[in-house]
Formats: sequence, C-alpha cells, structure tokens
Amino acid sequence: MSEPLLKLDRISAGYGDLTVLRDISLTVAAGEVLCISGRNGVGKTTLMRLISGALPPQSGTIAMNGQDIAPLEPHARQHIGLSYAPQDSVTFAPLTLRENLTLHHKDHSLDRYQGLFRRFPRIEERLGQVAGTLSGGERKILAFCRVMAEGGSLLCLDEPTEGVQPENIAHMAEEIRAAAEAGRGLVVVEQNLSLIEQAADRVIVIDHGEIVHQTRNGPDMRAEILEKLKV
Amino acid sequence: MQEAIVFSLNVSYGIISLALLVLGLAIIFGLLGVLNMAHGELVAIGAYTAWAVQSAGLPLLLALPVAAIAAGAIGWLMEISIIRHLYRRPFDTLLATWGISILLREAIKICFGLEYKSVIEPVGGSITILGADYPTYRIWLMVAVVLGFVGLFLWYRRSHAGTRVRAMVANPMLASAVGIETAKLARRAFVLGAASAGLAGCLMAPLIRIDPYMGVDYLLSSFFVLVVGGLGSLQGVFIGSGVIGGAETAASTILGGTGGYVTVLVISILFLWLKPGGLYARR
Amino acid sequence: MRAADAFFLPVFALLALVPFSFGDFTAYQLSLFILYGIVGQGIALCWGRVGILPLGQAMFFGLGAYLGGGALIWAEGNWALLLPCLVLAILLPALLAGLVALVVFRRQTGSGPFFSLITLALSMLTYQIALTASDLTGGFNGLTGIPPLPGTDPWGNLYWVILGTLLVTTLGTTWVLRAPIGTLWSAVAQNEARLSFLGYNVAGLKALAFAGSAALAALAGALYASQQGIVSPQTLGYVLSGELLIWTAVGGRQTVLGPVVGAVLIGFLSSELRDGFALWEVLLAAIFIGVVLLMPQGLGGLARPLLDKLSRKRKAPARDVIIPLSDAPSQPDLSFSDVEVTMGSVHILRGLSFDMKDPGLHCVIGPNGAGKTSSFNALSGLLPVSRGAIHWNGRDVTGRLPHQVARLGIARKLQVPMIFHDLSVADHLNIAIWAQNLSARDALRPSSFRRRNPVMDELFTLFPFLRDEQKTAGELSLGHRQMLEFAMSIMNKPTLVLLDEPCAGLSKLETTDMTGAIARMREKFGISALIVEHDFSVVETLSDHIYVLHQGELLAEGTLDQIRANTEVQAVYAGGSK
Repeated sequence: MSEPLLKLDRISAGYGDLTVLRDISLTVAAGEVLCISGRNGVGKTTLMRLISGALPPQSGTIAMNGQDIAPLEPHARQHIGLSYAPQDSVTFAPLTLRENLTLHHKDHSLDRYQGLFRRFPRIEERLGQVAGTLSGGERKILAFCRVMAEGGSLLCLDEPTEGVQPENIAHMAEEIRAAAEAGRGLVVVEQNLSLIEQAADRVIVIDHGEIVHQTRNGPDMRAEILEKLKV
Repeated sequence: MQEAIVFSLNVSYGIISLALLVLGLAIIFGLLGVLNMAHGELVAIGAYTAWAVQSAGLPLLLALPVAAIAAGAIGWLMEISIIRHLYRRPFDTLLATWGISILLREAIKICFGLEYKSVIEPVGGSITILGADYPTYRIWLMVAVVLGFVGLFLWYRRSHAGTRVRAMVANPMLASAVGIETAKLARRAFVLGAASAGLAGCLMAPLIRIDPYMGVDYLLSSFFVLVVGGLGSLQGVFIGSGVIGGAETAASTILGGTGGYVTVLVISILFLWLKPGGLYARR
Repeated sequence: MRAADAFFLPVFALLALVPFSFGDFTAYQLSLFILYGIVGQGIALCWGRVGILPLGQAMFFGLGAYLGGGALIWAEGNWALLLPCLVLAILLPALLAGLVALVVFRRQTGSGPFFSLITLALSMLTYQIALTASDLTGGFNGLTGIPPLPGTDPWGNLYWVILGTLLVTTLGTTWVLRAPIGTLWSAVAQNEARLSFLGYNVAGLKALAFAGSAALAALAGALYASQQGIVSPQTLGYVLSGELLIWTAVGGRQTVLGPVVGAVLIGFLSSELRDGFALWEVLLAAIFIGVVLLMPQGLGGLARPLLDKLSRKRKAPARDVIIPLSDAPSQPDLSFSDVEVTMGSVHILRGLSFDMKDPGLHCVIGPNGAGKTSSFNALSGLLPVSRGAIHWNGRDVTGRLPHQVARLGIARKLQVPMIFHDLSVADHLNIAIWAQNLSARDALRPSSFRRRNPVMDELFTLFPFLRDEQKTAGELSLGHRQMLEFAMSIMNKPTLVLLDEPCAGLSKLETTDMTGAIARMREKFGISALIVEHDFSVVETLSDHIYVLHQGELLAEGTLDQIRANTEVQAVYAGGSK
C-alpha cells in the first residue's frame, strides 16, 4: 500500500509552554478532500500552521508521501508540492494582483489562471490594482486562485470562504472538487457548512485541541457537526 | 542671483548627500527591521577605502568597487554569524550591532591611526551653473546619486527580484509559504545595505572629515531621517532627508551648530509622538 | 538577608584591603573604576531590571562631574554652600533624565530602540556643548583646578569616601529593588501592556528608573570631579558610555554588584593592557558581543546556579493587611456612537453604535472579523478611532491611553493571557492589588507585600491554585494563566471588565470553573462584564443580554432567545456552523 499524501501521527503542537493541539492523527489521500471544522480557538489554524511548516511539532510525526517533512521549512515544503493559503494576511498587500499571482512562478505568466479567471472575473478585471485595496472576501478569492493554480499536490486552505459571497463559495466548491478529481489532495479548514457539504469527502471536528468526531460526507453530516459544536 | 543659485545648490547637496548616506540603513532597518548600529562604521570603511586606494597611487575610481566589496563582505560576515539569529529579537540586534560598531571603530584605529585623513577630489575645479561657480565634484556626485536612486527605485518596483523583496517585506510568512527563501533573500538585502553604506562613504570621502569617530554622527542622522521619512520606501528617505537636512541647515545658520543639533532632535521626538510611522511609511 | 547578599562581604573586604596590600596609588587608580561601577549600577537598574537600554549614560556622569566640579571650585571649602550645590548636582541630571524618559515613552509602548538612540544623541549633544561653551566648561581642556572635597585627600582618604559611597549605593539599590517598586520594574520589562491595562503609568515607572540611574551616575560624577581634579568633555561622550555598557554587561546586569566587578576587573585591566596590547579593545568588543548573545547574565550569571542551590524558596509573607474595596458605583454607563476604525483601507468598525447601561453580564458574539476584539481595543485606547465617539459615565473617553481607561474603572482581560512570565503568582496578586492604590511611601514598604482584600479572598476560594503563591507564572498551564489574568483584572473591583474569550483553550472543567467565577464576581461584588465568546454553551450560562456584531456594526441585541429567533442573525451564521 502506498503512503498517503499527508499523514500526521500523534501530533502535539503549541506555542512556547502552551500545548494547543493534543495527539492529532489524520491522513489525506491524493484525490481526497478533508475538511476540518470546529469553533474559534480550538486549534484549527494552529494545525494548518503546523502542516505548512510555520510551526514545529512538539511531538509526533508529519509526513508527505512517506517522507518526514518536520525538518522542512515552509518554502521547502512549497517546493515539494505543498500549497498553502493562511487564514489571515492572505495577500501581499502592496503588490498588484498580477504580481501576487505570478511572483513565485518562474515564467511569471498568467496562462495557468485562465480557467479560474472565468469563474472569478472580478479578479481578472483588477489585475493592475494593488491587493490592499481589495475587500476581505476578494483577497480570499485571490489567495484561493493562487493556491489552486500553484501546481502543488497537497493544497491547504485555511477558511477560504471567510467574507466571500455565497455564489463565489459555490464556485470554490466546484474548483475544489475538480482539483480532487484531478488527483490532488486538499485539506480545508472551514466553518461554513455549505462549503463542507458541497466539497468535502471527509470531515474532522476539533474541540479543545483534540479530534472529537470524524465522519464521511452524507445526509447526517450537518446535524452531526452542529451537535458537536454545541450550537 | 548668484548667491541664490549657490544657496539652492548647497541645500540640494545637503539633502542628496544625506539621502546617499542614509540608503544603507534604509535598506537594513527599513526593509529588514534591523537597527544596524554599525551603519556609520560601514560608511567609515568606505571612506577609508578611498583614502587607502588613493594613497597606494591607484585611480580613485577603483575605490568604488573595493569599498562596496569591503563593506559588503563585513555585512555578510555580520549577517551570517550574528544577525541571522536575531531577526525576532530587536533589542539584541541593537546591542550586538552596537558591539560590532565598537569593534569596527577600534579596528579602524589600529589599522589607520587616529589622525584625520583626507582624500583629494578626483575631479577638481568648478563648473558654472546659471552664472554661479560650484565645485565640479559635488555636481557629479549629485547627478550620480539622483540617477542611482532612480535606477534603484525602478529596479525595486519593476524587477522580479525587487518584487520578491517587496513581498518579503510586506508579508514574510506568506513569502515563505509561496516558496521564497526568505533567509537567503534577507541576507542578500543585508549585504546590499552594507555595501551601499560603504559606497556612500567612498563617494563622499573627498568631501567629509575622515577619522575613526566619524561613524556615530552618520548613524544618528540616518536614524532621524528614517524616523521622519518613514521606513520601507525610497520616497521616505528623500522626504526625511529633506526635512532633516533642511532643518539642520536652517537652524545651524541661525542658532549655530549646537542649535542645529537640538532642532533635529526636537523634530524627531515630535515625529515619534505624533506620526510614529513617519511621513511616508510603506511597510 | 538573602543568599545573594553573601557576595557583598567578600567584595567589600577585598576592596578594603587594596590600599594596604597595593599601596595608595593603586587605590587611587582603582577608585576611579569603583566610581564607574556605581554608574554601572544605574545602568543595571535601567537595563537589567526595567529593560530600557541607555546608550549615553556618561552624559549624566559628566553632568554630575561638571556641576560637582563647579560647585567645589565656587564653594571654596565652605560646606554650607557646597552641600546644597552637590545635592543639585545629583538632582538636576536626575530630573533631566526623568523628563527625557517621560517624553520618549509617553505615546509608545516598546519604543526601546528610539529611547536608546535618543540617549545617544543627547550624549553627543552634551559633548558638543561642553566643547563649545568654553566660558562655562573650559572647552576642550575642560574644568581644571578642582579642589578635592574638603577634608579629603584624593590619594589617601578619598578612597574610603568612595568605598563608603559604594556601600550606600549597593545597600540602597538592593533595598529599593526588593521593595514593591522593584517588582513593578521587573513587570515593566516583561509585559508593559498588562501593567497599562491595570492602570499603571508605565512611562512614569520607566522615567523613575531612568532618573534613579542618572542620580547614581551624577553622584559618581561629582566624586570623580573631586578625585581627578579635572573634568573634560570626554566624561560626557559616547565612547565612555560604550565602555560603561561593556563593563556592566560583562560584570552582570542582573545583579547589583556585577557592574562594579565588571568595571573594576575589566576596566582596570583595560587601562593596564590598552597600551601594550593593541588588539585589546577589539578583543573586548568581541567579548561584549559574545556576552550579549551567549551569556546575557554576564559574570553575575555564573554565580546563579550556586545561588539557586543555596537559597531556599522563600515562603510568601502572610497576608494580614486588609485593604477595603472602593465604593465605586456598580452601574456601568458605556455608549459607542457611530464609531469608525480604519486601518489603511480596511474598515474594521463601520459606525458601531450601542449602549450598555444595565449592570450584569453581557456577551458579544459575531463571526470572525466582526470587530468584537477591535471594539474592545478602541475602548481601551489601542486602536485609533477615526470617527464617532465613546462615552463612559457621560464623559467622552475616545482616544484615551490604556492606563487612563483602566483608571476609569474599566478592566481588560485579553484573549491570549498576558502574564509576567518570570514573576511568581504572589507578585501577580500584589501587582494587581497595588494598582491605582500605591503611594510613593507604600512603594518602598515591605508591608505592601502583605495586602489582601475581599475580592482576593474570594479568588482564593474560586481558584485554589492561587494559594501556591511562589509558583512562577511561566510554569502555569494555559487554563491557570487565563484564571490568573482574570483574577488580576478584577482585583480592584472595577465597574466593568472586558473579557475577550475568557474560556479560549480551556478544558470543559476549566470552562465551568471560569464561568462560575465570572458569575460569582457579578453576584458578590457587582462587577459587570462585556464578554466576547464563541462557545454558545458559555453564552447560555452567563448572558443576561447579547450584542451581535457583524462587519463592524451592531446587527442585533437582546436575550439569547430573541437572538436565536432573529432571522438576520440566522442568515449571518447560516452557512456557518456556530
């Protein structure tokens, strides 16, 4: 059996003396979309930071395709196929949209974005604008486009729909499904149930730094998640 | 009329030469957030390089690359051994670079001694501008510096490397996430800043007093220019130089040298209070 | 008496032996470095304790020297004239230092580098003045022909005067550092913001420390004038300042005698080696860099493991000084009128308006980015308000500094608990109970460590871990830190406490304890609260009333049932999972 695209084994992580995540184990396979849900402050963003390489684990292992990536810095992880959009500070505010989308590609070309531009025409309209002038939701869409076209094999999105209009959320869900169908693996932290319903294969719910529920996408999923979040 | 021309040229010279001297610190402090207390000593090294080259009987033009390389090399050593560990500890970088400043100053004393050195202008004489005579070398310097700044500005805005640096400055975490090796980029920016300081010292060498203690003055002026002009932009460097250079010249003529100094100090503190980002902050 | 005091005896004994073992001339030379050591004690106070780095400390030394020298010349041996002048020679630099610190630190927290550079610039300035104002200062040659202190001989008994002064400064500084003010200074170095939220004027605390260090430097300077008989501009310059810094760093800036050891050992050594060994200064600078990076405690740090072994953990003194609670009104009266906060092009708050006039517990909810924490920050004075106004008890309080807002009776607890990492639980409780209630006298009295009040008593019951007062805060779990910070914020019975996600990161049990504590404080002491929360079970337990924020505005308010039934609120959370 080949190694999963991403595997976390008994990961604990935190800041300084504080442990925010406890004993987290999960896998993501190529072609699969894993959504991670939970209230604010439970450790979801900490988990994404850990996966992206911005935060080292306090214990446990993390591997991509069987290779231990704990010693790899964020830029090194990007080089081996991990694309990441953080929860906040998602763009380079003083740079134009065009620069945001092309600066990290050797060819500096926008060709790879044609499909995404059709879905999100507002982005193409504003390529010459500085990213700092966009609204919060538009910046999220920009970051989303960047990650989807980056060419990575493991795409990590932290709350991609925050501030985004419902019709664009639907587009995002479609793009995510298309990426999964094309063989990519996706990890998406999300609190928006409609995105989870449209895009996820599996869902994990985190509370107080631990995994409290796992389920596959199905008719009972929404109720199960809501119950776990005590709303 | 002649006096007015000479006065404007003097003011322009004051602002432009100040901007030149600030550039190195503007790169290192403005972009990387490192308060390089050894900035003045890097300028001094550039000036001493000019003297050394001239004393060896070699053409002064040779001093430019040598000064840049010498200062850049010291900057590289600093970054790799010390600064690299301290990016998240601003207090310690201040201390460490202050220690480096003392070290460099003492090293200069050992190598070159305490007496003032002087460097003869590579082009002497004066040019007539709109009917007024003004030293040729100063004119050349001003033109070269302005052209250099314009070139630097265009490079920073247009080139791919410049875009990466701007990205790193704006959002270092995201820059790393998109695959930019921020550590390498930061090191190169630091070396560039150090080399700029050395270059500035070399270019200015025929026009300034050269002694082991010259550095701290330039450190302080550069710092005040950045407080007023704001960190992270070339425009800020010029605006800051304009305000500080202009204020110092004006205050010195009315109140004397000490008065000029006090004025600059008061202005900086006011900016710290009221406009801590400076006039043209772009971070 | 503590273990550290054990070092005083050998050091003073050794210094006392010098004239007998090495002769008067060596003693004379050494006394100069003892004086430098006294300046270093001041630097250690600022830098080691409070965390502000003076790069131009020689300025105050030189000022004391010029003023003292001038006084000695002018008084001509008459003590009635001399004494007040010498007192002025010490007070004036201290006053100057206090002023500079107040000016620099007033608006900014953490403007450390600016402060350091401004002290450097000032030192350059005073050097310039000393050089050019030759009528006053003797210019380049300096003030010459200064007679020694009446009745003393610089090559003889002045040594004992200087050593005696060192004894006084050492004991005095040690005593002050062990008083409440010393604890407050340590707290400044670790978390200024937390102190501001308690109502302390941090700029004032820093100014006090800086003034104290200037006084020490000036005192040493005045003695220097008497010892050397001549004061030149070099005594003000940054080169000497740099050396003082190096000696303090190497000797140990966290101890009171470290700087003296540094000055005497290294300084004295330097003066002997400097001429013979050309690379000495370079080597010394390299040692300084090494100490800064690798051994920040200096030589004093070498003694630390030994000290830790020798000293037992001292028990906290029994709290038997009861402080009554204020009769402050329990009625909060807060209103936001059309408050707008923008950062660059991002609108964080867009015309937020709401009133809170009923006592009780009020929750603030809303999706990410709604502006909940930002509204707290606007109230606390952390975020500038571009339009609109905030009123408290009828008065416009928009734009007040954090410690001023705290003094209005509004306490603050932040989302990520802010504590003083290296201080003990006892220190935290003390700092809280002293807030807004500590006179200058009390700041020096050991009895202030024994305070308690009814709120503290209740807190000991609610949070039993607080009784282990000697525990260092850094060792506490996240849950306990949240509780400790909550305890600090309500210690003085504020009218309103702003709680930002008080249960964030807490386990189920800890959440129950925390919500119980919040409710209890409301019940027993009438402390009202505005609580940002995401956990609906907490909201349900606590809230009498809820405000819903969305995109920087008030979306709805009412009881939990009303909110749940509100269709707009449902729409906002709908796709959401809250």
